[in-house]
Amino acid sequence: MTAALSVASLSVNYTRTTAVDDVSFTIEPGQCFGLVGESGSGKSTIGLAVQGLLTDLRGVTTHGTVTVAGTPLDPSKETGWRGVRGHRVTTVFQDPMSSLDPTMTIGRLLGLVAGSTAESTRWLEEVEIREPATVLRSYPHQLSGGMRQRVMIALALARRPSLLIADEPTTALDVSVQAQILKLLSREREQLGCGVLFITHDLGVARAVCDEVAVLREGKIVEHGSTAVTLENPQNPYTQRLVASRLTLHSDRGRPVGLPEATVVASMAEARGIQDADLERQWTEGSLRWSDFRAEDEGGPRAGAPALELAKVKKSFSTGGFGRRHRKDVLHDVNLRVGTRESVALVGESGSGKSTILRIAAGLEQPDTGDVVVDRRRGEGVQVIFQDAGASLTPWLTVRSLLMERLGNTVTGAGLDRSQREAHLRTALERVALPASVLDAKPAGLSGGQRQRVAIARAVVVPPSLLLCDEPTSALDVSLACSVLNLLNLLRHDLGLPMLFVTHDLAAARVIADRVVVISQGAIVESVPSDDLGAAITSDYGRRLLDAVLS
Amino acid sequence: MPSSAETDASGPAATTSSSAGAPRARRKVTPETVALAALVIVVLLALLGPLLSPYATDVPSGTPYLAPFSGGHWLGTDNLGFDVLTRVLAGTRISLFAALVVTGGSALLGLLIGAVAGFVGGWVDSLLMRITDLFLAFPATIVAMAIVAALGPSLRSSMIGIAIVWWPLYARIARGEIRRAAGSLHVEAARMSGTHGARLMLRHTVPTVMPTVLVTASLDIGGVIMTLAALAFIGLGSPAPSPELGLMSSAGMQYLLDSWWIPVFPAVAVGLLSLIFNYLGDGLRSVLRARGA
Repeated sequence: MTAALSVASLSVNYTRTTAVDDVSFTIEPGQCFGLVGESGSGKSTIGLAVQGLLTDLRGVTTHGTVTVAGTPLDPSKETGWRGVRGHRVTTVFQDPMSSLDPTMTIGRLLGLVAGSTAESTRWLEEVEIREPATVLRSYPHQLSGGMRQRVMIALALARRPSLLIADEPTTALDVSVQAQILKLLSREREQLGCGVLFITHDLGVARAVCDEVAVLREGKIVEHGSTAVTLENPQNPYTQRLVASRLTLHSDRGRPVGLPEATVVASMAEARGIQDADLERQWTEGSLRWSDFRAEDEGGPRAGAPALELAKVKKSFSTGGFGRRHRKDVLHDVNLRVGTRESVALVGESGSGKSTILRIAAGLEQPDTGDVVVDRRRGEGVQVIFQDAGASLTPWLTVRSLLMERLGNTVTGAGLDRSQREAHLRTALERVALPASVLDAKPAGLSGGQRQRVAIARAVVVPPSLLLCDEPTSALDVSLACSVLNLLNLLRHDLGLPMLFVTHDLAAARVIADRVVVISQGAIVESVPSDDLGAAITSDYGRRLLDAVLS
Repeated sequence: MPSSAETDASGPAATTSSSAGAPRARRKVTPETVALAALVIVVLLALLGPLLSPYATDVPSGTPYLAPFSGGHWLGTDNLGFDVLTRVLAGTRISLFAALVVTGGSALLGLLIGAVAGFVGGWVDSLLMRITDLFLAFPATIVAMAIVAALGPSLRSSMIGIAIVWWPLYARIARGEIRRAAGSLHVEAARMSGTHGARLMLRHTVPTVMPTVLVTASLDIGGVIMTLAALAFIGLGSPAPSPELGLMSSAGMQYLLDSWWIPVFPAVAVGLLSLIFNYLGDGLRSVLRARGA
């Protein structure tokens, strides 16, 4: 039997960088092959090369051979690709909205591939769309994210390809939808017998669907083998770090997560005044506990005064226009309390209203009715760390101006002279393990991880009375997400910061928060302590989220 | 051990920028570089010309109606015996100066009004933008003519007149861009960090509009030069014998058939100046776009 795809010593060079370096692998028909790696590892470039999308491009040089179902092709020349791309190799991309033509109905789009309406209907049924007739008449924007991805899969499979490329197909979807889509992909693959090249950064997803995985780093395959062996018992140190960085509901939440990381160790050493090497050893041994970083009590009983209290908060937004305007309730009677020094995670899927709660707590939105009380005794107000840290830093200002501005706006900062302020900045940077040299850099000159840490440093240059985090780790690679979680945990324990952490990721929520609050459709469903999350969640919705993490 | 924080960003950034398939451009002669070189030459000539030229702009320096390249006059002399080249250079200087001041002034005014409207929003926005619409509703040149006529014809009145009809354009552009920028995450983050009011507007939002305003302004300089010349042509600029390009070509029109160089060279200078600024604006736009600004 000929292989669905065989890649022999593929290399791709961009003008200044090598994206893919001598990569070879083979996918048998019916096999699901996972390409796993962090951003920039070259996994998507391989996806492009095997579809012949890197041919005849200026600034891109490609070497090696790509054999699709027995036909050898040159990934650097256009010759021969036309009948292959979109026919024998089809793709499901991460963002179905941008890959579906917004001006065509699903019926027309699918008709181009499937031929007849009957055939289109059959394909929609195949991907478990319940009302195919309605969907055929719809435009892409009228469908939900999960539905759009199902349509994408139908479009990709209707060609009966030998190879299906799935490039992060579930990354943009909610966890519960993600599980359904993965199940659908696995079933279709078995039914149609096509090979699948599954590109993902998520080891959990790879473990769920792939027979074989290759771990990529900087364009090279560092480890390759059956999924079970590679991900359960990794040999390569990089794979080990990736696997250790993956959070589960069983991760020990009393200690830093993942493997020791230089930057986090450095800021821990700063906080405790001991040697880096000792800390790294304690971390590896598992004897390093967050309880060691307990902040000294500032004295005086503070119980009874929560850092944040939302009482019966309601919020609605108006939608539509031209006479069809109506109000959509986003929050119904939300009561939420974050105690002094407490860390609370608000967990829900997109559209659940969790971000609206955060914006109301931050004062960026006003509730329609209800009370919002923030503890002002510290005097420094509320600070927010946004998901997209890069975009939250003003691009033309240096790190120094950004931090100085925040410092100057605080009660503490106003009373300091120039050199004291400068010293304050340096302490803040040390807290997040950034060198003082970044002070004169602009955001564009920093890496994604550094930008996230600058955003954190700005928020805590003067410790706020409440720190709000809006999915600060969901856009980051796993190891980077781990280090941000560790950093936040350190700040929380070291400074005694109360925190509200908004996320869709139960595993991350459990690590960072003392208490997890589940929200669905604008209402709080339940509130459970993180320590025995698995057992304590009782609501149907909460259990569904939990199952999605476990699968 | 190198942390992945440092290694992760170079990868994707490099991937996206280079997959666009643009290798480092070799030094090539583009219309923009030619325009830049031409501008440098023109500015130098305009600044130094009157010093280099042996003739004065307002004293007859030779026999009238001398053809180009005769009697030491490269572009000939006019009906009064003035050196055409000297007067064209002096006129270029006036045009350049006036156009820069008018464009700069109206861009600044428009930027300020548009920024305040877009940033503050609400009734302030409505009020400022209705005023802007009022100005845009009338044909610009006619309004400018009316203003100059009311103020009394002179270079200064033409400059004021043109500036008054030119700023609404910038207000429109600035307002739209500022509105968009005001909703962006970094402005929200700056607001969260305690920055408000004018400081938030000037420090965190206005710089986003600068590239657009700069490009628009540089493309507009050509138009302003033309409009100034047009006003002078119909007699609304400085009175004769001031060496103004529009005035020179209009006064020279009656000699077009016998001594074509008298009206043609000033007109050519106006055309060249506009052309140079147009190319320059285009070049500026592509440079800024390439930088991702």
